[in-house]
Amino acid sequence: MDYDAQLKLQALLDGELPEAEASEVTQWLARDTEAAALRDELRNTVEALAGFETGIQLPESREFFWSKVQRDIQRLETPAAKPAPTPLAALLRRFLIPASAVAVLFIAGVVLTRPIGQSGFTPAAEIETALADSGAFTYHDYSAGTTLVWLTYPADSEVADNDEMGTIE
Amino acid sequence: MRAKLIPATSLLWFSTALVLLAGAQIHAQAADMKFHAYLLWGKDDSKPPEGKASKPVDPEVSPKLKDLPLKWAHWFQLNRVDFAVPAGATNEAPMSEHCKLIVKRLPDSELEVSLVGKGKEVVKRKQLLPKDEMLVLGGNAPNSTGWLVVLKRIE
Repeated sequence: MDYDAQLKLQALLDGELPEAEASEVTQWLARDTEAAALRDELRNTVEALAGFETGIQLPESREFFWSKVQRDIQRLETPAAKPAPTPLAALLRRFLIPASAVAVLFIAGVVLTRPIGQSGFTPAAEIETALADSGAFTYHDYSAGTTLVWLTYPADSEVADNDEMGTIE
Repeated sequence: MRAKLIPATSLLWFSTALVLLAGAQIHAQAADMKFHAYLLWGKDDSKPPEGKASKPVDPEVSPKLKDLPLKWAHWFQLNRVDFAVPAGATNEAPMSEHCKLIVKRLPDSELEVSLVGKGKEVVKRKQLLPKDEMLVLGGNAPNSTGWLVVLKRIE
């Protein structure tokens, strides 16, 4: 049996042959047992496939199923994303934690190295002067760290009889 | 886990630093204070004072004299006394035959400084004197001259 004859048998089973040609093929099947056997086999196959196909049902629509496949393909083809840059807050936190610790240590050091009992930070407030000399004055050079106390001593009367450095020297 | 460790570690370091600082502070308060005391004479001219041995003022003091509102351009060093005062103690620095400086250590790193001339207390003063700072006591002297007693803390 040639290939065209096999195709005609298939077309008969699928109902695709014109009526006249279908009648000729039917008569041929009545005469040829080999062809009849092939027809039966094809019929069984068609029936089996038809039953198998109807048993499979996708749980989702066809469009949705294929769109998932498409998305998966695109995801696999997309190059690995670069790691996100470190947020500014994280960088700040990295800097601020040690900076805060240093600042706290510095403040603690300043507080602890200051003598206990001082009432303020102003140097002038730390000075208590007890001068018997009412004409004395005090000058403080903060940048040079120098305090000058200028006295009226020796009074003129005390040195009147002395030489140039009589009172102090 | 790391978020819990950072505060714990920081607290440990902070406590350690506080202990070290407190120890250093206690040690600093107990240590001797060292001073240099100078007797200086100021003149308008560059001629040294007559009858007394003098020399140029130490470099550690001389530049600071220029920053003070003093009229004399020429200063001469008549004496220098180096001395130390332990915590809670008093020490004297004889600046001349008639003049001496008395330094007493008070609590809280404060000093009481007295200048005595011819047996009389000329001035008594309480103040802090941090390292490298100076207390300058001075006055006018005859013939348009001036005197200074400079107390500088070295340690």
